[in-house]
Amino acid sequence: MAQSHVEHHWEYSYYPLILAAGIFFAVPLAFASMFQYENGLMAAIFAGIGVPLIVIGIAGWTAEGISDKQGQGYAVSGIPIFIVSEAMIFLCLFISYWMLRLSAPEWPPEGSPEIGVGLPIIMTFVLVASSFTYHFGEIKMEAEDGSGFIKWLIISMVLGTVFLLMTGYEYNHLLSQGFGWGTNAKSTAFYSITGFHASHVLVGLCIFLTVLIPAFAGNINQTFVKSAGIYWHFVDIVWFFVVSQIYLW
Amino acid sequence: MIKEWLFTTDHKRVGILYLVGSLAAFAVAGIVALLIRWELTGIGETIGGVGPDDYNFWLYFHGAAMILAFLIPGLTGFLANYLVPLMIGAHDVAFPRVNAFSVWLFWFAIVIALLSFVIPDPPDIMWTGYPPYSSEFSPGNTAFYVFTVHLIGFSSILGAVNFLCTVIYMRAPGMKWNQLNFFVWTILGAFVIQLIFVPVLASSVTLLLTDKYFGTAFFVPANGGDVLLYQNLFWFYSHPAVYVILLPAVGVMMEIISNMSKNPIFNYKAAVYGGVWGVVVLGSDVWVHHLYTSGLADWIRIGMMVTTLIISIPIGLLIISLVGTLFRGSIKYSTGMLYATSNLFLILVGGLTGIPLAMTSLTLHLAETYFVMAHFHFIMGIMATFAVFAGIYHWFPKMTGRMYSEKLGVIGFVLNFVGVNLTFWPLFYIGFLGMPRRYYDYAMFPEFEPFQVMATVGAIVVAVSMALNFYNWIVSAIFGEKAPENPWGSNSLEWTHCQSPPGPGNFPKLPKVSSKWHPHEYKPQVIEWV
Repeated sequence: MAQSHVEHHWEYSYYPLILAAGIFFAVPLAFASMFQYENGLMAAIFAGIGVPLIVIGIAGWTAEGISDKQGQGYAVSGIPIFIVSEAMIFLCLFISYWMLRLSAPEWPPEGSPEIGVGLPIIMTFVLVASSFTYHFGEIKMEAEDGSGFIKWLIISMVLGTVFLLMTGYEYNHLLSQGFGWGTNAKSTAFYSITGFHASHVLVGLCIFLTVLIPAFAGNINQTFVKSAGIYWHFVDIVWFFVVSQIYLW
Repeated sequence: MIKEWLFTTDHKRVGILYLVGSLAAFAVAGIVALLIRWELTGIGETIGGVGPDDYNFWLYFHGAAMILAFLIPGLTGFLANYLVPLMIGAHDVAFPRVNAFSVWLFWFAIVIALLSFVIPDPPDIMWTGYPPYSSEFSPGNTAFYVFTVHLIGFSSILGAVNFLCTVIYMRAPGMKWNQLNFFVWTILGAFVIQLIFVPVLASSVTLLLTDKYFGTAFFVPANGGDVLLYQNLFWFYSHPAVYVILLPAVGVMMEIISNMSKNPIFNYKAAVYGGVWGVVVLGSDVWVHHLYTSGLADWIRIGMMVTTLIISIPIGLLIISLVGTLFRGSIKYSTGMLYATSNLFLILVGGLTGIPLAMTSLTLHLAETYFVMAHFHFIMGIMATFAVFAGIYHWFPKMTGRMYSEKLGVIGFVLNFVGVNLTFWPLFYIGFLGMPRRYYDYAMFPEFEPFQVMATVGAIVVAVSMALNFYNWIVSAIFGEKAPENPWGSNSLEWTHCQSPPGPGNFPKLPKVSSKWHPHEYKPQVIEWV
């Protein structure tokens, strides 16, 4: 909130509590009902309460944040610090993968189909291209060209969506060959690492959506755009590690 | 009014919300600890109708709630939120809404933990959640354990981002790094650890979740998984978590000891750059001492034995500073100061009993006994709890604008100190003789019964002291006398430049500090010497 002058009233915002409550219903309660107690109805009820709360929370928070013209732009410094954490999660997954792989008597273990490298290379080009297109968008934004920014942002989002569709296609192909996540150590590592990366692409796309919708109304917040860009570039860089460790090794 | 509390983004109110939540968790987990002690008073079933399953759940709840919902949020949530922006002369934290978000994530994590009392099949996997029991055999709700960790972990990571940004960018004009309060340094160290290591815990328990509910093979040896992988990942976070608790605890002690003995901190720079950051750096390389008996190779066990012993050097620097600060001070004992100085003794006991446990050869004998349990209760449980209490008492006039009852505080302190020592010294002794941890029944060791009874008596004394403390806080916060502006004569910004309790925006005007100023300097700063 406002940092540049002294506030003389207590600051408040509805959305942090709403978002936290939404997460509480939609994740722990719905998950435990579904998988621990195998009660689909309860799970649906909890998700039905939680998901709208999450959407309201994110939308309201974004609206407040984007219209906050007095912000000092600390988010541009905060996101890289947050990314240290994200990088550690990926490192942890890679370490698990290396430990499983290097201690295995044979690799790939029995029951692993050949995973083609053609598709991942195309996916690499798509994702790297989306990083560049987003950067072009940022250049347009700095030149105060709102419609140019929106155009490049939409192109980036299309590329990100294409990336996710390719992941879905690949998963579908592998699952049809009987290579599920519980098949063996390789499938476990494969699906968890690529899946976790794909979830980051999805989160990135959601963040882009929260930038895009206000942008149509002519409301572009530089801090938001730059922070989203830093996150997107990080997701892009992680993909190089995923490709080199999972597909090419 | 309710709106301004429930939806607040102000760091002081968020801090108070952290305090209320963590004390609630502390109270429930403390009652559970009393039940555990009561059950252990006699051989066999002592509390009618309580079976080993209930006992198992209590152990889970006591451990998880005390560590995840009381110690870490109490020190890095409550104290950091309340004090850091005041100490560095800022209006608020860098991301106030994120701050509010993280306190509510923490509250919902407590709700999940408390729900375990009413749901069928509560988690029964201790706070460590080792597979294969947690992932294959336990009928309990492992998901609740995992999501408690997730919510609190996410809350910690957001807190870390927030406070690192705050301290880096929002210090008062003119405030150099060497002019930071010692507590701020320890909070920085603790949050760097949280930022780097919490994600590892979060992902290791996520792997547990997918193993249990989706049939992945991370920890399933039959499918090429590895059970020790979990233990390594878990302790890779959970050992540094000890330092997340230790560092702010030492920071609180340092603030109070320096303030109440009117002495600058002895060896400030060595304690900051060697002590705090030494612990942060070395803390990541000692986790294998939790796995000495898990069957790892000798080279890594001996290597980690050496690093574990080396980490006593930065901790030694911190202790030397604490003791040195008392030297030739004009010491006044308030309740907060009593808690802070008695902590020197607790650190001594807890630290010295840690050294035999760092030795691989001795651990083969002592692992999984009451000795280990008494050791970490001394250094982590009691020491850190005393630090939280010291903090609450010392900054009570700041938070409420009122004075607590010093008489009740001192009585509570004496009972507390006597009680914890009465509880844990007998446990050290029978642990050394071989009493195993976590047992519901000890029919094979009838000779230990008197010691168990002694420990239970100690626990009851502690409970009485806790009742006095809580009574003191609640009553004094409402009816206490008005506190003077700066009751301890501190030179730190939160006492000299803002009201008690501080209003919105903290400071009437932004404080500006000169290069001569230091929060821990109490003598006139001009040196006259011929």
